[in-house]
Amino acid sequence: MKLLVSPCYHRMCEECVGNRFNAGPAPCPECHRILRKNDFYQPIFEDLTVENEVRIRQRMSMIYNKREDDFKSPKEYNAYLEMVEDHIIRLLYDVDTNEIDHLIERYKRENQASISKNRTKQQREEKLQRIISDQESIKRQQQREEYLKQLEEEKREKEQAKNSLINELATSDKDAKEIVKNKMVQLKKSSLSNRSASRKVQLDIESLLGTIDDGFGDDDMEEDEVDTGPFDPAESPYEAMKIELRDKYDDPNPAFRQGTLAAAGVTREMHQRYTIEGAMAGLFVPPATEEQDARQ
Amino acid sequence: MAVTEAAPKKPQLFEQTSQYRHWRFTPEALEELRTANNKRGVERVLQGLREEAQVDDETALETRISEATTNLLTPQEELQLVGYYLQMIVQTIRVYSRIHLLKPEALNNVKATAINFMKRFYLHNVVFDYPPKSIMLTCFYLATKVENSFMKIDDFIRPLQDAESKRGSKIQTKGDDILDLEFVVIQSLQFELAVHYPYRPAYGFFLDMQAYIDDVQLLKAVHDRTHHFIDISLFTDLVFLYQPPQIALGAFKLAAREKDLDIDPYLARRFDARELEVLYPILDDVQDVISGFKNISQKEAQLIDRKLILCRNPEKNPNSKLYKKKVADQADTPYVSDSDSD
Repeated sequence: MKLLVSPCYHRMCEECVGNRFNAGPAPCPECHRILRKNDFYQPIFEDLTVENEVRIRQRMSMIYNKREDDFKSPKEYNAYLEMVEDHIIRLLYDVDTNEIDHLIERYKRENQASISKNRTKQQREEKLQRIISDQESIKRQQQREEYLKQLEEEKREKEQAKNSLINELATSDKDAKEIVKNKMVQLKKSSLSNRSASRKVQLDIESLLGTIDDGFGDDDMEEDEVDTGPFDPAESPYEAMKIELRDKYDDPNPAFRQGTLAAAGVTREMHQRYTIEGAMAGLFVPPATEEQDARQ
Repeated sequence: MAVTEAAPKKPQLFEQTSQYRHWRFTPEALEELRTANNKRGVERVLQGLREEAQVDDETALETRISEATTNLLTPQEELQLVGYYLQMIVQTIRVYSRIHLLKPEALNNVKATAINFMKRFYLHNVVFDYPPKSIMLTCFYLATKVENSFMKIDDFIRPLQDAESKRGSKIQTKGDDILDLEFVVIQSLQFELAVHYPYRPAYGFFLDMQAYIDDVQLLKAVHDRTHHFIDISLFTDLVFLYQPPQIALGAFKLAAREKDLDIDPYLARRFDARELEVLYPILDDVQDVISGFKNISQKEAQLIDRKLILCRNPEKNPNSKLYKKKVADQADTPYVSDSDSD
């Protein structure tokens, strides 16, 4: 049996609803409000007061959607929240419902512009949130795949090393201890280079290494890890901007359509990189805060 | 595709600009600064009037002071007056370009720089001391130099004098009027003359969007229209609040909406969504400010200007007796400047 709920929050089973309202609108058996079959819906919550409150809140949040930024002071914002809460409670407990409905209608009329503006803002934020979570889940997926690949690689390498070690032990006539030691050092080097290649994934493969390299060549390997690459005296002190230029732009600047008009040494590419860099420099800087303020 | 990588070790180039370091404010700070300036300016006016009364016995101190105090300008009126003369800069520049004293490609740069200079100047000065009418020309002349469109001062004042004689006005602008104020202006600008304005970023966006939006003709039309909104943005305080690319993008959005082009897909595909979260409220504000801007009419400005005549600081007014006396005192004392030596 499926229990449905009427807009006046009275329960009725699906069959009774069918019997009673199939012929058209009819009064509710409890409160005599005129109801239609379509008005009945399946409740989410067991407790009908909760159901009622959730619905009222949903409706109110569509209309009273002002934000803190819309008010001059936190005090005004608090007063506003208080008023909304008051309306909700009164609707919930059925106190002066007509008056409240009237107030809501008036508010709606007076604040039409700001309501729709805040609504689009909200929609955009939701959309952005969705994009963010999409992007992040893709990133996580990629990281996981990379990690798995790494594991696979390690495993394969270990296997290979083991095989070649056995091979060498079987064929070579050197001291067995010597061969094992050489092999271990070699192995560690290769896994280290692997690791630095995917450093941004921040994988901890120490445990994987630990199973093979116990007690071998720890000291001479330390230096390789802190290596930050070759020193470049001509390196820019500023963060480089990563901009991918296209081969061709529809550029209104006449200088780059007729080569002779461009200043000496300036290429089309330089000019376009310069302009696009101008567009991207500081694009995402948030507005100044109190401390950053330029006041002296 | 992030331009700003998370946690960059090196600083970014734009963070080193003087505009970013010294001319970036919160809206509250701007208001505070202006109110405080106004208050100090008023005190200086009263002080100057008292001093002048000592120099010149004829002026009835009481009436002069009461005249001044009833006509004192509020920070809001100051801002309006400056705003009006910012508009005048644009008109004046148009005259210069019509007679080919300014090259068309330099037009926007000179305009933006001159307007910016004047806005920055009145962050640290008040109209009581320096009426915007003369500061406007100095800022404009300075901007032509900064923006690589230098002309001789004689060439510079000729169109002004022509216009004055055509109007039959008695006062004639002299080159020295402009040059005398030059150092004062540069000093108030804290010797920082590089201004970054949104024209180049808008051009950059126009190029960058071509990879995402196929209809280049429409894009070009939008970009042309963007200039109109950027022109408006120069008059507002946006330049003190946001970065030039942000203002440019806001103007671009306004223009795009007018031409029925949706650039949101471009933003969503081009940039990281987390970064867009920061950017969107800024763009909203930029668009609101630009579309809410109203021109200041000549009538309003005239009203304020008339009040200003009565409450100018005599200490800085070249026509006042106090000023003349001070200059005369200075001339009596032996004075050797660097330029006198050759």
